[in-house]
Amino acid sequence: MRFDEEIAEFIAGPVMMVIGTCDGANQPDVGRGVGCRVLLGTEAIEVLISGWQWPDTVANIRETGEAAFTFVRPSDYRSLQLKGAASLREPTADDLALCERYIAGVTTALAEQGVPSSMIDVWLTNRELAIARLDVRAVSIKTPGSSAGSLVGAQA
Amino acid sequence: MTGIAPRLRDMERFFEGIVPSIIATSSARGIPNVSYLSHVVLVDDEHVGLSNQFFNTTLTNLSENPQAAILLVDGARGGQCRLRAVYEETVFDGPLFSRVSTQLDATSAQVGMAGIMRLRGVDIFRVLDITVYPSPVAAPIEPVASEPLLEASASLAMTLAGLPGQVDAALDATLEWMRDTLACGQAAIFLADENTGHLATAGSLGYERSGVGSEIPFGDGVFGSAARERQIVKISDLSRARRYSAAVKASAGNENLTRTIAPPMDAETMSQIAVPMVAGGRLVGVLGAESRQRLAFSVVHEAALTLAAQHLAAFIALSEASPEDQRPIPPASPPDRSARRIDIRYFAFDDSIFIAGDYIIKGIAGRLLNHMLKTHAETGRTGFTNRELRLSTSLKLPEFKDNLETRLLLLRRRLADKASPIQLVPTGRGQFSLEFDGRPAFIAETEEDGR
Repeated sequence: MRFDEEIAEFIAGPVMMVIGTCDGANQPDVGRGVGCRVLLGTEAIEVLISGWQWPDTVANIRETGEAAFTFVRPSDYRSLQLKGAASLREPTADDLALCERYIAGVTTALAEQGVPSSMIDVWLTNRELAIARLDVRAVSIKTPGSSAGSLVGAQA
Repeated sequence: MTGIAPRLRDMERFFEGIVPSIIATSSARGIPNVSYLSHVVLVDDEHVGLSNQFFNTTLTNLSENPQAAILLVDGARGGQCRLRAVYEETVFDGPLFSRVSTQLDATSAQVGMAGIMRLRGVDIFRVLDITVYPSPVAAPIEPVASEPLLEASASLAMTLAGLPGQVDAALDATLEWMRDTLACGQAAIFLADENTGHLATAGSLGYERSGVGSEIPFGDGVFGSAARERQIVKISDLSRARRYSAAVKASAGNENLTRTIAPPMDAETMSQIAVPMVAGGRLVGVLGAESRQRLAFSVVHEAALTLAAQHLAAFIALSEASPEDQRPIPPASPPDRSARRIDIRYFAFDDSIFIAGDYIIKGIAGRLLNHMLKTHAETGRTGFTNRELRLSTSLKLPEFKDNLETRLLLLRRRLADKASPIQLVPTGRGQFSLEFDGRPAFIAETEEDGR
């Protein structure tokens, strides 16, 4: 599916990114992303993942090719989840630069909410970056409230 | 990932909810879903509870595939760990539900979401394994300082807070707490009578003889010293000074002959601690604990016992200050002539009383018991009130504050301890009744001392 510009701006902004995957035995796992870019003109995004910190997440994507990414804005809990088929590629210099910008941006956004940078340093790292491409099938609202879970686009 | 495998109970800071937790599930077809969670609570060593508000996809997935991964974050340092867990059930009421619901309401209001984050249920998961994720900065995970005695003290405070004013139950709860929390062999509670300068044993655990009803003068031994000085008194090694065991032997004679109840004592005691119980500036009693280990009681034990002692003291003071019930006393019922006879002997010279051949008590408590038994013999009545006993001039109760409740309490516990065929059973606040396992019969009063 194609998502609008507002969504594209939101997910590529200073928001926290969490990743849901599962292995071949359908055992789920949790991870974090450290940067996102929307591939303009396509229905795909790329999310950066530290393979050093989240080896199971990276291994799961490689094994099953499925992922769910949830993006949350620290200031108001606005949350969106994107699901679809996922695949991996090696990082480039651009990816490393994106990761650096993302970490700086989200650290500022979290600091505004009172989260000390010493904590954020624990969560976000660019070590052994892997780049997960997600061909988005569905976008759903995950913001707490009555609309939580409702789909923005097509079925997951 | 690191090889550290913490236990759930050591992960308190991960359950603070300061940094939101995350849950990942997947459908039967292997489509993952990931959601933020507002609250994860520790249920026991193997279970966690998740606040269930609106994770529809999560719930659907769990119904198809009960496996989940839960990411918890240490609210102080940011450390992250993953619980692999299996969904077991959802609870919709009970203490855990109430705890999570209250917590959720409070934090929702704080973030401007009052009413939106209403708890539907608490989802219970069994935790299969715990993995600590590596951090790019210095090791973020520190073992949380555990304060088991502080937690145990809080637990006792809650137990006492929930009891409906019955001092007996509070004494027993405190004794059990002392035995379990201090891991000591022996525990005793003494109630103080500042008019006579004596402690009376209200209950004990772990001794050969309970000693309920026995008296210790203020200043005598560790317990009496704590009463006189209103200070914690502690002895950590009695191995050389065995004065105590001599005292045990001296006082362990036949109480039917001595008409003295021996205090609870253990000849093998190595460590003793006594903590005064004070409420409103008044000495209420003393908590005493003993152990056969040297150095059994640390400063932390002292602190825990101090909390327990003052809570119990306040409980007793509050109970004494509460108004007594005004219910009418039940009418007398005719005695059961067929029942076996219970011999009662009362000796006026020291107000001692023997029931079925056993020495029960002397002094004012003996006078009280004699008065009630006489009243029963004359009228058949079994119900009594504190009020009428207090008003009864025939009892020659001392002018000063009579301490009646404590005396009745000790008498009641003494009769129970002796498994006497005559028992005093509380029927309301300030009301109680005599119960007989047989037919009481007074043997002629005598001035003899029966020795």
